Amino acid sequence: MPQPLAGLRVLELGTFVSAPYCGKLFAGYGAEVLKVEPPGGDPSRAHGPFKDGVPNPETSALFLYLNTGKKSVELDLRTPAGLDAFIRLAATADVVVENFRPADLRALGVTYASLRAANPHLTFVSITAFGQDGPYANYLANNLVCFAMGGQLFITGTQEGGPLKNGGYQADYQGGLNGFAAATLAVLAAERDGEGQHVDVSVQQCMAPILEAGIPYYSYMGRWGGLRRGNHMASYIGIYPCADGHVGVHVMPRNWKPFTEAIGHPEWQQDPRFATAQARNIHNDDLFAELYTWAATETKREAYDRAGRMRAPISFVHTMADLLESPHLNERGYLTAIEHPVAGDAVYPGPPWWMGADSWTQGRAPLLGEHTDAVLREVAGMSAAEIARLNSGVPA
Amino acid sequence: MSAPLSGVRVVDLTMVWAGPFGTRLLGDYGAEVIKVESPRAWDLLRALGMIPRDVPRWYNQSAYFNHNNRSKYGLALDLGSGQGRDILLRLCAVSDVIVENFRTDVMDNLGLSYEAVRAANPRIIYVSMPGHGKTGPERDYVAYGSNVEQLAGLVSLSGYEGGEPMKTGFSYGDPMAGTALVAAVAMALRQRNRTGEGSQVEIAQRENLGMFVGEYLVDYSMNREPRAPIGNRHPHLAPHNVYACAGDDRWIAIACETDAQFAALCGAIGQPDLASDARYAALPARKQNERDLDPLIEAWTSVRGHHEAMQLLQRAGVPAGAALTIPELMADPHLRERGAWTAQTHPDAGTWELEAPPWRLPRTPGLARLPAPGFAEHNEYVFGTLLGMTPAEIATLESAGITASEPDQSLHA
Repeated sequence: MPQPLAGLRVLELGTFVSAPYCGKLFAGYGAEVLKVEPPGGDPSRAHGPFKDGVPNPETSALFLYLNTGKKSVELDLRTPAGLDAFIRLAATADVVVENFRPADLRALGVTYASLRAANPHLTFVSITAFGQDGPYANYLANNLVCFAMGGQLFITGTQEGGPLKNGGYQADYQGGLNGFAAATLAVLAAERDGEGQHVDVSVQQCMAPILEAGIPYYSYMGRWGGLRRGNHMASYIGIYPCADGHVGVHVMPRNWKPFTEAIGHPEWQQDPRFATAQARNIHNDDLFAELYTWAATETKREAYDRAGRMRAPISFVHTMADLLESPHLNERGYLTAIEHPVAGDAVYPGPPWWMGADSWTQGRAPLLGEHTDAVLREVAGMSAAEIARLNSGVPA
Repeated sequence: MSAPLSGVRVVDLTMVWAGPFGTRLLGDYGAEVIKVESPRAWDLLRALGMIPRDVPRWYNQSAYFNHNNRSKYGLALDLGSGQGRDILLRLCAVSDVIVENFRTDVMDNLGLSYEAVRAANPRIIYVSMPGHGKTGPERDYVAYGSNVEQLAGLVSLSGYEGGEPMKTGFSYGDPMAGTALVAAVAMALRQRNRTGEGSQVEIAQRENLGMFVGEYLVDYSMNREPRAPIGNRHPHLAPHNVYACAGDDRWIAIACETDAQFAALCGAIGQPDLASDARYAALPARKQNERDLDPLIEAWTSVRGHHEAMQLLQRAGVPAGAALTIPELMADPHLRERGAWTAQTHPDAGTWELEAPPWRLPRTPGLARLPAPGFAEHNEYVFGTLLGMTPAEIATLESAGITASEPDQSLHA
């Protein structure tokens, strides 16, 4: 079976995380992804962490991870020749993915309307903080600002500690995945109708509705608690320190029996403080104290495997070392070593989801401008003289 | 123009959040989604939300359920009976996609394995959404929302500086798996258009979410150096933090990426000299001294509302965003102008505002097409119209307990 996105050409005009993650998914599932980088490269090349801590545009873990399987075309869109080359590439593409602030993209001279004239089939995907219109459309934004404006910042962390962002670039990744889902729908429609469209994905609008029951309860009933709950929704849903890390419990009423057995307290099934879900809520503080005492005696891997065999919902907080060593992830083939000529070997996760054998492939990230010449020649149909005239810092 | 998934029929066996969230998106973007619930194993979300149990059809009034199940039809069918299974296979034979998020062994035990469903319809796209995946030593371990993000590696990277690993504020892996479902189904449909063949898809929730911290795995595998949580700060940029504003528990995020943005911030907070101060002017020094900047910034934010501070900073050219609360999100002028909320009327639950389909596809738009189905609301459509059963046959199913017009209310009393 061919890969699910085989035959598609995607032009990625993306920086940092959101559009590059979308492009990475396209590449992984079989599309040809041409990443157009400005002179000097995607700014994520300047962000670490770097191999051995030494800054190098070819060894940023952030760039290496987000750009697997793409071709790099270094183009200065601020020059007429660079912009012309981009437009020629877009005329051959099925999809353009970009994450510029709308005003910044217009300033570069790239618009959906102009690209559409030459290529009505084109699906043009914009992944931006606030979407293409509305009062915030041209606000300056990044991961932290989106995390705040999408409502996830306020609900994370403790009441006393103040709002806390999650690790890494979670708002940006949400934008990338949402952009990819919207893009695949639009590709399906374009292949059916022979006509593309401008897909508008606002990270804020994707984030705001998914705060568990927050929006439904407030909108329907006017109920809003407004508290950050830290690491515990209740004593029986949360994270506890153990001897060598942290374990997590998430006990629904039907899990109570196997849970008490897995932690060596079957007598709690008869304990009037804990015997029913209602009693556990009333005696929440007692259960907290008991679970802190219990967890301190456990080691994480052992508790997890024992509970797993007994069908009790206990997990543990996986560090990156735990992920690399995970027997489960290794057996499933989720961890792949990829060799890079400058950065060397590293382990990459994937696929995000499985669609059959060989549906996902993951090549290394490109060197800056590695494919400029070949792509401009073979895809844009430019002559050697035209390419030479680009004068955009293309490597000799 | 018709929606992207127009003409696609989806048999939805999923319950609670991840699956229903994803199949609702499929419905919003044009698929005909048929939500199948057993009279004795119906969706727990119907029981959540403090609904008084003494009102008629209380199980149709859960806001949490109704948000995540709109744009779907509802069918009551007991899959545990042989006859129920046969009817489901008949439904699969006239459908394009089936989605399930049961424990890994349940579908096989019901006689509804991929092979069994494919035998009924070789073009079927069969999607499973387990926590761990259907293979591997941990496949049968129980994993709910808060477990998934721990297993994905995200929690170990989150937390205040020097603090414990911190969970997210919600079951983050669920909507991410649901979003992935849309992409996976669209891709599998494209593949079927090209090859004529159906396929099997598996979304392991911990693996889908693990992709969101992939750069940390690459980093660790190269450098073998753990990265401790750094709160709201950034590895390179400064200032990059959350500051208290006027009012009770109101906050603003400020995240400068360039020296010019920092200079704009200094001007906006009335401290223009900081922009040329050697301790702060250029990023490397500013990052070193970022702690000294925090009180200077907070002195300015703490006497302003978070909306006002955001507007002043944005006007000056500083990336800044108010930490919006749920009531503020629903009142937000930008989201309002974008049509992010849309009123819908439900026959048992009334009229209120729900989130609109999130992505704008202007030529083939999504739509909140239907209110969430009441339990068994579309039995007649599915049994009669789609499967050609007579009213007498449907009545026989009902008397045998294979379908019902009401759920067994003792299940989630």
